[in-house]
Amino acid sequence: MRVLSLLSLPFVALILSLWSSAAFASSDYHEHLLLQPLPQSSLLASFNFRSNTSQQSFDQQHFRYLPRALGQILQHAHTKELHLRFTTGRWDAESWGPRPWNGSKEGGTGVELWAWIDAPGDEEAFAKWITLTQSLSGLFCASLNFVDSTRTTRPVVSFEPSGDHSAADQLHLLHGTLPGEVVCTENLTPFLKLLPCKGKAGISSLFDGHKLFDAAWQSMSVDIQPVCSADGECVVQIEQTVDMVLDIDRSKRSRSNPIPRPVPNEQLVCDTSKPYNADDTCYPLEKANDKAWSLTEIFGRSLNGVCPLTDSDGSSDQSVCLRVPHERGVFISEEADEIKKEDGFTRCFKLAPSVPFDLSIPQQPVNTEVPLDEPVLYAERTIVGHGQERGGMRIIFGNPSNTSAVDFIYFESLPWFLRPYIHTLHATITGHDGVLRKVPASEIVKETYYRPAIDRERGTQLELALSVPAASTVTLTYDFEKAILRYTEYPPDANRGFNVAPAVIRILDKAHNAPIYIRSTSLLLQLPTPDFSMPYNVIILTSTVIALAFGTIFNILVRRVVSLDEAAALGAQSLKGRVLGKLVAIRDRLRGKGTKVE
Amino acid sequence: MPAAIRNLRNNPHLLFVRLPKLLSFICIVVGVVWLLLLPLNEYSRQTYISENALLPGQVHAYFTGSEQNIFRGYKRELEGLLNDGQARGGQKDEAEVTAAVSDKMQSILQAAGLKVATQKYEYTSAGITHQGENTYAIIHAPRGDATEAIVLVAPWITADDKLNLNGVTLALTLARYFKRWSLWSKDIIFLITPDSKTGTQAWIDAYHDMHPASVQPLPLKSGALQGALVIEYPLDHRFQTLHIVYDGVNGQLPNLDLFNTAVAIAGGQMGIGANLQEMWAHDDSYEHRLQTMFRGMTKQGLGYATGAHSSFMPYHIDAITLQTKGEGWEDEMALGRTIESLCRSLNNLLEHLHQSFFFYLLMQSNRFVSIGTYLPSAMLIAGNFTIMAIALWMRTGYYPEKPSANPKNEKAPAEEKAKTNIIAERHLALPLSLVVGLHLLGLVPLWVFNNIFHQYFTTTTYIFVVVDIVLPLLLAAILSNGLGLSKPIIPQQYHLIKSFSLLLLGLSLSTLATLNFSLSFMIGLLCAPLSFVARLRGSAPFRLTISSLGLVLLNLVSPPTVLLGVCWYMGVSVEAVLTQAAFGWDVWGMWTQVVVWCVWWPAWLIGCVLLGSSIF
Repeated sequence: MRVLSLLSLPFVALILSLWSSAAFASSDYHEHLLLQPLPQSSLLASFNFRSNTSQQSFDQQHFRYLPRALGQILQHAHTKELHLRFTTGRWDAESWGPRPWNGSKEGGTGVELWAWIDAPGDEEAFAKWITLTQSLSGLFCASLNFVDSTRTTRPVVSFEPSGDHSAADQLHLLHGTLPGEVVCTENLTPFLKLLPCKGKAGISSLFDGHKLFDAAWQSMSVDIQPVCSADGECVVQIEQTVDMVLDIDRSKRSRSNPIPRPVPNEQLVCDTSKPYNADDTCYPLEKANDKAWSLTEIFGRSLNGVCPLTDSDGSSDQSVCLRVPHERGVFISEEADEIKKEDGFTRCFKLAPSVPFDLSIPQQPVNTEVPLDEPVLYAERTIVGHGQERGGMRIIFGNPSNTSAVDFIYFESLPWFLRPYIHTLHATITGHDGVLRKVPASEIVKETYYRPAIDRERGTQLELALSVPAASTVTLTYDFEKAILRYTEYPPDANRGFNVAPAVIRILDKAHNAPIYIRSTSLLLQLPTPDFSMPYNVIILTSTVIALAFGTIFNILVRRVVSLDEAAALGAQSLKGRVLGKLVAIRDRLRGKGTKVE
Repeated sequence: MPAAIRNLRNNPHLLFVRLPKLLSFICIVVGVVWLLLLPLNEYSRQTYISENALLPGQVHAYFTGSEQNIFRGYKRELEGLLNDGQARGGQKDEAEVTAAVSDKMQSILQAAGLKVATQKYEYTSAGITHQGENTYAIIHAPRGDATEAIVLVAPWITADDKLNLNGVTLALTLARYFKRWSLWSKDIIFLITPDSKTGTQAWIDAYHDMHPASVQPLPLKSGALQGALVIEYPLDHRFQTLHIVYDGVNGQLPNLDLFNTAVAIAGGQMGIGANLQEMWAHDDSYEHRLQTMFRGMTKQGLGYATGAHSSFMPYHIDAITLQTKGEGWEDEMALGRTIESLCRSLNNLLEHLHQSFFFYLLMQSNRFVSIGTYLPSAMLIAGNFTIMAIALWMRTGYYPEKPSANPKNEKAPAEEKAKTNIIAERHLALPLSLVVGLHLLGLVPLWVFNNIFHQYFTTTTYIFVVVDIVLPLLLAAILSNGLGLSKPIIPQQYHLIKSFSLLLLGLSLSTLATLNFSLSFMIGLLCAPLSFVARLRGSAPFRLTISSLGLVLLNLVSPPTVLLGVCWYMGVSVEAVLTQAAFGWDVWGMWTQVVVWCVWWPAWLIGCVLLGSSIF
């Protein structure tokens, strides 16, 4: 099961293996696009751009394919490995199956950044991290500068460096998320500028902000890491990917008429077998999955030849691949060649340089379908309970496999104003038959890494090593308390609620060294919010006045009125004076309060 | 002025006995008059949209044309299944029809590309079992991340117990239509419930994981719910106006912005009139405004769920029901466009609805009074009890009365002055334990009326009428004579009993006024005589006559008698009302009974005891 799912995109795996063999050329550039229709008239478009620079030229600031802007930031911030993700929408695992790249190239909703920084200590690493986020914020037009200490965590087991690092480096992993960040065209433009062909030629010419951000799910990633061969020759590798799931119907709508008006009566597809079917009564027949589409219709522009900087050797000239059954007819531009692979579902296209390429699939009834594997694990996280004081978190992990258990790490970084009660952390197992099973919690939760929050300084970090037995569902719950913020700490849209970053799930797989990542959806936490309007100001003002009045009256009530000579003794700073003062006080107390009045 | 003050100081009888009564009476009168003034233009306000993001009616609604064909198709399909069950009569089980309809709805929603799930639930209240199955489907916001959602509810049976075929069909058609749009920033949940009473409650409880064991958890969830709309179209013909129902459980109301948006869209954009509180011919006159307000207050005060939307309110989710009424020329597509436009407005929201009022009284679809204006009314009435309680407390301490004393203003001032200097000791044990004990006794009827089977409700009510006649006299006899149990009570203690009772009543009612104004106002008015009843003095025949008369009158405003009287006036059976109340307590989490049995009833009982003690 797990092996199958790992190879769910076999062609990607093939490409990866080809690349890794060719990865040691000192300087090269590859790009690749995979198109795969998904159920519910969706289309997955997976773009990948990868280039290398030798470590030597990187150190000497001799940049060719690696963008200088990014390279200098990395050098300045002593960052050895960087992973940056921009994601919107939600991957519908039930319909679309496992995630592209096994989830390793996507982030949680918003922006996610993690990096290994070379620094002698934690403090220095954090200083470098702030430098890094500030610089990246400027480069990618994202609010990464808001990744402060409260949003930074240091995961222990959830991430491992994917590059080859020298043992001499003192690496610190820092991880930050911005779940509320809206990813849009202003992030795409700098992303495209990092590419050698900058969206002018090759597969990157398909990027159009209007279509890309109309996708049901899309993820952009930048990964930079050193890769070393066995003989010790190292290169710095940058890999950029854009994955998106487009709704075919929606994307095919023209820009001039984007409104999905009701179709004219004669275009309705009705179930004519119904007895009541008439001109004015229609039980609609929904179209099948094999919808017709073409690249120009979906992306709004055609593919502009090949990026001339790509290496012409090996597989990279087949830069566009499509996963549909071989029996399905595909029309392509004249200059391009089609190469069908043996697996029966994949075909790749050899593009002619500087000639626009288009590809179109007509509507056609097909018997076979591209097999979609089941994801290894389903995860859902929701906030339960109501009220402004307390709440609860509920995380459900479903293991669809009937034979094997799933071991994984669950990583959650919570904002400090959400205060979890870890003693309420409970795990229950339900079988697929819906029957609750009596299993001690220690069998489900193997290990816990917990770093409690400090108010206004850092958030909670929770990493759990969990195991879900075959054919069962584990429900994890814990309660939390909502903190009351200072009134200046509320954002302008306080009543919207506060975003809680998605949880990261890393599925451990001993057979393969590439882990599978799943991210939950982000959450909205409603905090007790004052009414930021006139009554609130009135309450504050009134409370201040009352506090002042109370202070004065309290002061008058408790102040001890003494005569001048006593005051002199009391006021004396000498030890004798102080002792005398105490004695006077004790005498006063012994005699009772009545004497004081006189 | 100084002369008046001097006069007051020299006349403690006026200060401690007469003035409080006068003040209390003025408070009650002003409170009632205040409420009656509210419908005037000078005191009420024109409604307005406070939340700028809503932009009601600013978008064009496209739900027309061939969508109507699909609506008819779906309707015929569902109708076929329902009629199939009816035609075969007894042969086909009702459960089978329900299952077939549920399957059909699921297949329609699935074909439209939505995620579908079902939820079974069962509630038992007053010996009646309510069960059903909710079907719901979610449109994932095209670029969203399941953080926020809007709910569209179509119950199969409306709040008026009619079959809502058009409403359910409209929800299904809208689901298919909404799925095509890419502009949704929030998930849209379509919830089809079997009825208006239980379905939404089971669903919303399970959504927040607060459901009892008899309700299944939800297999499919979305994010924080921002608003809910209930569609009711039980008519076979075209409709004339939209009736907007907004009252929630325990008198909670949705944000006024939601109501205003619905009125603005229905009236302004679609040209459909909007009504509220069953006021079909509202001519904006004072009488009609007052009537609308009173109807709203009655619903708020009783605190029951007025429709499927009511269950959302305790979770701070603003919800309204749109009911089609009358015979006119608006068809289902007009209702569909109204809902489309409303959804677009809710979709615009950046924050939870919070800008506008949560506490208001509506007196016309575009006129309201806010809490600041109406609250003094109930507060004055609650305040009258507190004034009386404080006065009695002062009186017991500083103005000891001798039974023979005949306080006359002409008395020598010197003698009065001498009296005022006396500081009397208060005997608190008996009054305190009696008041606390009687309040705890209120738990008995509370438990009884929420736990017995529904067929015994009428009998129990009559038993309680009798108990209410006998119990005060019995208590009064025990207090007056001691019956060997305790020392006979002294007059001061009667004042203290009344003081504590009224203090608790005033405290409870003024607190309640901020939460449920109408309930506090109604109970305050019904309890108003309690400020003025006390142990009588005078000759035995006089006491006997007056107190018996008073007891009869007081018994007319006792909780069970009021219930019987209202039921007789409205023409509903006592059993139905109490079954509903028990259901409200068990399922909706209604608190009206607690106020009745633990606030009103003990206070009333103490009033009767005081009056009854004059007999002995």
